[in-house]
Amino acid sequence: MAKPTIAFFKFSSCAGCQLNVLNLEPVLLDIVGAVDIRYFVMAKRENFEGPYTIGFVEGAVTSPRELMELKKIREECSILVAMGSCACHGGIPSVKNYCGMTQKEMEEKVYTELWDLKSVPAHGIDYYVKVDAYLKGCPMDKDEFVMLVTNALKGLNPLFRYHSICNECKLKENSCLLTKGIPCMGPVTAAGCGAQCPSLGRGCEGCRGPASDCNAASLARTFIDIGLSRDDVVRKFRKYAGNTPEFSKGAEAV
Amino acid sequence: MSDRRIIVDYIARTEGDGAIDVVIGPNGELKKARWEVWEPPRFFEAFLVGRKYEEVPEMVQRICGICPHAHHLAAVKAVERAMGVKVSRQTELLRELLHYGDWLQSHTLHVYCLAAPDYFGYESVLAMAGNDELLPVVKQALSLKRLANDISVLIQGNEIQNRTSVVGGFTAVPSGSELKKLQERLKEAKDFALASVRLAAKVVAEDPYPELVRKCEHVSLRDEGKYPINGGRLVSTEGLDVPDWEYPEWLLEKHVPGCNCKHAVVKGRDSFLVGPLARVNNNFEQLSEDARAIAKEVGFNAPSFNPFHSIIARTLEIVHAIDTLIALIDEIGEPVYEKPKYKIKAGEGYAVTEAARGICCHGGRIDKDGVCQAWDIVAPTSRNVYNLEKDFECFVPKLLDLSDEDLTLKCEMMIRNYDPCQSCATHSIKVNLRREG
Repeated sequence: MAKPTIAFFKFSSCAGCQLNVLNLEPVLLDIVGAVDIRYFVMAKRENFEGPYTIGFVEGAVTSPRELMELKKIREECSILVAMGSCACHGGIPSVKNYCGMTQKEMEEKVYTELWDLKSVPAHGIDYYVKVDAYLKGCPMDKDEFVMLVTNALKGLNPLFRYHSICNECKLKENSCLLTKGIPCMGPVTAAGCGAQCPSLGRGCEGCRGPASDCNAASLARTFIDIGLSRDDVVRKFRKYAGNTPEFSKGAEAV
Repeated sequence: MSDRRIIVDYIARTEGDGAIDVVIGPNGELKKARWEVWEPPRFFEAFLVGRKYEEVPEMVQRICGICPHAHHLAAVKAVERAMGVKVSRQTELLRELLHYGDWLQSHTLHVYCLAAPDYFGYESVLAMAGNDELLPVVKQALSLKRLANDISVLIQGNEIQNRTSVVGGFTAVPSGSELKKLQERLKEAKDFALASVRLAAKVVAEDPYPELVRKCEHVSLRDEGKYPINGGRLVSTEGLDVPDWEYPEWLLEKHVPGCNCKHAVVKGRDSFLVGPLARVNNNFEQLSEDARAIAKEVGFNAPSFNPFHSIIARTLEIVHAIDTLIALIDEIGEPVYEKPKYKIKAGEGYAVTEAARGICCHGGRIDKDGVCQAWDIVAPTSRNVYNLEKDFECFVPKLLDLSDEDLTLKCEMMIRNYDPCQSCATHSIKVNLRREG
């Protein structure tokens, strides 16, 4: 059987998710041996046109040029994977969608001499094309990446369970930060990171986007109860996944 | 007679998307030499306005996945200056540990994964691994990179975007015994670090074009009694010497049509270079003893104005980083958890850190409710774009006898000298080289 061909693409983002692929040092050469990496500009000088078996896309779509590329990529890839918060939900670039400024006002603030900047509201890639799998998180979780690739090699769809981060906190026997008055997005955020932030004493920021069946409005009211202002609550929900209907409910609940 | 033009749509083995467009006229004159960074802007400076002070460091580290801690720490320090927050000695040491770990990761990534394939004639480090003679080197490099990543994971839970470092300190601290385990691994990695300096000096010395030297201003931080990483004064090889928070007054930016990047100049002067070569040139005596000794052994003399020496400077900093990390772990001992304590206060603050690829500047205003009113960001790569174009102007006319293929590679190498982060600069690389005639 021919090795599956793999491609990595980058839109508006920090390149951290692609770097996290290179951060798989102990298994990197094994993975490279099991697949055929055909397109990975950050790591390779020789890159080839599609089609590809699996395409990993990092970054949000924020310009018409990126949208055109995304549509071509979708056609070229049998399996299209959104890699990281930006590609899954719009991520940090999507904060601009909710900052109360028009695109023109933002451009004037950052670029004093305007030329042909063409920027559109930031969205995850499934706003425009069908996505077959998601690697959530900022950055994407390396273990989930390996799980996805190994499953794909076996022809299986990896079963990621997007229950809330709270489940992982319970398994780690962390004491609940919310009960200590520390705002935590864990109750509404998709698990898979091992409750990384709460385990280190920091409230979850929601970088993995909504958990299945989450009740964001209820958490928003809890935030108010522990002393957050209305603006604080909106900021919590309009950060990594402010575009999603679930987190929008949280932002609009107060 | 037509133009000779070299076109590379995406410059490989750099971070982000950009292009080079080089046009050479019929008589070998350079008509155009541009590094076009067309990574779409993300408007951090606009959307940070209205966000909470504590979110600024959290968000700005997402500017760049390769030097997140440089952005994060510059923003943390700027917020702390704005609000008058003092941090403990332990916090300062842990921040250095975090950031030196990042240098080690970034430099190892650059030297072995991004730059080395150029010198060994491979398209990528993955291809290099297919050569039985090079495989052990690749494996050692990956193991050093893993070690650097493990430092980050131990301190902040993740290889990239930090989880524990916040305004005022850390939400959790590592145990002394875990730090000691890392220290043992660092000691074991030292020989490979020294070998990296020898290797870098060897491949650069074997380069057939040793005359590619261009004197330009080199700007970096200079700290008191130690090598600069998280603070210090802003200095240069042309005599600049000012407090870091005055960076907006001295390092100016101008817009250039056709490029999303702002071009940087020193006030009243010209383009400048930032990064490891500038740091080593301005702070050679503060490098660790072993780093200075190996520099002498391989014949590296500061100051060097050969941008191809950047890779040697990077390896010297790998040695220095390992020595410093070992010493920092001794000094930190058994960290104790200290709850970050401060009051929200209105104020204005600016700070500069040294990202692996050069000075990283942040600063702005926070209001009495802790809401950000203005934020300024100047990433290292945007400092270097203009200077790189001057390298092109100076060097390409000396390389006209090269084939298009070789000249294109050489242009790419000139860019890779800067280890650019194009997301960082809000922008990216592709090479268009056209010769007339």
